[in-house]
Amino acid sequence: MSKTRKRIALGAGAAALIAAAGIGIWGHRALDTSRSAVADATVQLADVRSADRAAIRRGEYVMRAADCAACHNGTKGVFAGGYRFDTNFGTVLSSNITPDRKTGIGTMTERAFFNAVRHGQGSKGLLYPAMPYTAYARLTDRDMHDLWAYMSTVAPISNAVDENAGMMFPFNIRLALAGWDMLFFDPAPYRPTAGRSAEWERGRYLVDGGGHCSVCHSPRNMLGAEKQSRYLEGARIGFWHAPDLTANAHVGLGRDTDADIVEYLKTGGNRTAIAAGPMAEVVEHSLQYLSDADLTAMAIYLKSLPASNNPRPDPIGAEPPAMKRAALRYEVNCSACHGVRGEGMGDMVPPFAGNQALQSADASSLIQVMLVGGRAASTHHKPTGAGMPSFAWKMDDRQIAETLDYVRNSWGNAARPVREADVARMRKAASAATSLPAN
Amino acid sequence: MRRREILSLGVAVGAVPAARLLAAEMDAFPHDMALDPAFVPKPAPGGAPQVLTRDIDRRTITAVFDRFIPGDELGPSASAAGCVEFLDAQLAGPFGQGATLYRAGPKAVGEDALMQKPQFIATPRERYETGLRALEAYARRTHQGSFADLKPEQQDAILTGMEKGEIELAPEVNTRAFFELMLANAREGYFADPLYGGNKDMAGWKMIGFPGARYDYRLYADRTGEDLGLEPVSLVPKA
Repeated sequence: MSKTRKRIALGAGAAALIAAAGIGIWGHRALDTSRSAVADATVQLADVRSADRAAIRRGEYVMRAADCAACHNGTKGVFAGGYRFDTNFGTVLSSNITPDRKTGIGTMTERAFFNAVRHGQGSKGLLYPAMPYTAYARLTDRDMHDLWAYMSTVAPISNAVDENAGMMFPFNIRLALAGWDMLFFDPAPYRPTAGRSAEWERGRYLVDGGGHCSVCHSPRNMLGAEKQSRYLEGARIGFWHAPDLTANAHVGLGRDTDADIVEYLKTGGNRTAIAAGPMAEVVEHSLQYLSDADLTAMAIYLKSLPASNNPRPDPIGAEPPAMKRAALRYEVNCSACHGVRGEGMGDMVPPFAGNQALQSADASSLIQVMLVGGRAASTHHKPTGAGMPSFAWKMDDRQIAETLDYVRNSWGNAARPVREADVARMRKAASAATSLPAN
Repeated sequence: MRRREILSLGVAVGAVPAARLLAAEMDAFPHDMALDPAFVPKPAPGGAPQVLTRDIDRRTITAVFDRFIPGDELGPSASAAGCVEFLDAQLAGPFGQGATLYRAGPKAVGEDALMQKPQFIATPRERYETGLRALEAYARRTHQGSFADLKPEQQDAILTGMEKGEIELAPEVNTRAFFELMLANAREGYFADPLYGGNKDMAGWKMIGFPGARYDYRLYADRTGEDLGLEPVSLVPKA
């Protein structure tokens, strides 16, 4: 399995300097962990023997909803850590969160666990925001107690991980994160909004808490913090573009019904989209396990978000020679699966006509899939996980850009032109094959 | 070993880990969809010949190929379509090495009849080297000239004799089988994807109306008895 390496910009740089200014940082609200007082500070995880089966089961559900398994995962086993995050400031590895005493979190108490998950303050110091404690801060005390009970049932695995050894100086100094937290971290519990339904509240709790959707779907500032003003409006994450989740009718969820969204989250695909890349992992590891009621709540919340300002551009017409060339190329290479009218193939192959994510201004995901191929999510309901082959060997940068322009501007679609230089850059970055000499 | 493999293994032998992730990891298929380098087509390298390095060998095979497929109003000759370059590239690769052939001895008497097909210890590359030299020597012996310089009728007479088994070029050459080998390779060069050096500008495909390396014909499946006018498409087109 080629795990997608998530690149999350960790803006510890300037923040470190701010922290160094040392204005009583330990008293700062962002670092205040008094909320954790509800948790026990005596029993270590490795010694916990919970008999509360219901709590353990609920805790597993919380773990699913928070998708812990996706990242605390590597070659040594589930929760044993070692998953790489390539950031602009070096490489950070996910930690071993099995109850192993020496290399995992076996000696953590529940309170220390709360501090780590909800406040980003771990046993080795402050956590990097690659760990979405910024979102987990919203988790309720009860969900945290349940998660703790579940983690006590995990089998310990010995796997020593030096999480920040690959970070560049000064970002390898964990205290630097104090400044980042002070600037960007809001440790407040989930706060209900007046006048909203219980379903909406549950949806928002799942999206903003465990789901940590904004980690990928919200753009970040120079220091790697999410831009609240552009919440869930879509963002670049590594080689991928996480699409707009607002009610934008062109590139967002504006034309999706609640049922469409639930189907996508539960099965990995619906009538306009199929999850691939990092989102396929999210569906496989996390979302497919959530209840229909919870998925519906998430859909209701997402549908309530005001439409983003991502406009529909004028489409490229069918007349330019490049579009005519691409039409033949589409017929020859793509139409067998994606349909002669861009209609896709049921649960296996995404349609292009009316596919909102396809029309995002940022075409990174599409370039990526053309160059290295991709896999649809494989779920209990839609297990096929159909594959998209790589076309790197067969098409040059211009041909890939033209082909994407064609599918993004046919059958009623409209999207910005894809730049050949972007394809060239990504071909290099993804170490994709060079195209063969043309004949 | 990767996590998913471990899990599928665990399920297979019933050794279920304590905190097994339910049945999440059903996807045992490969996630890397890049084309394995072993399966990327190998284009003809172009440039200097690698196997047919002797000028006289190239002149002889060019003359043979162009009697098989002469240039006319229907299309270019075999050599003009790149069939000699195609052959050279193929002889330089696994085909020339007989990579898929059983070539270990011993070769018993009567084996050709038993297998209903001539059997060879020699590789196709070696057969071309000995065959072309024997053909050239035969032309000099019988017509006092290089095969390539003979009149087309004289060339045809020799090739026809080879095809019918009426001529033996040399004791070490299965003349008829060598004729068949050259004919088959000329055809392959004329109709293989241009990637491999022959079929230049898809001339062979245009001649017979073959639409090329298209994936799907659903658009045309119902249009029978009609000239679809489909331009052929190569595996790695320029456009």
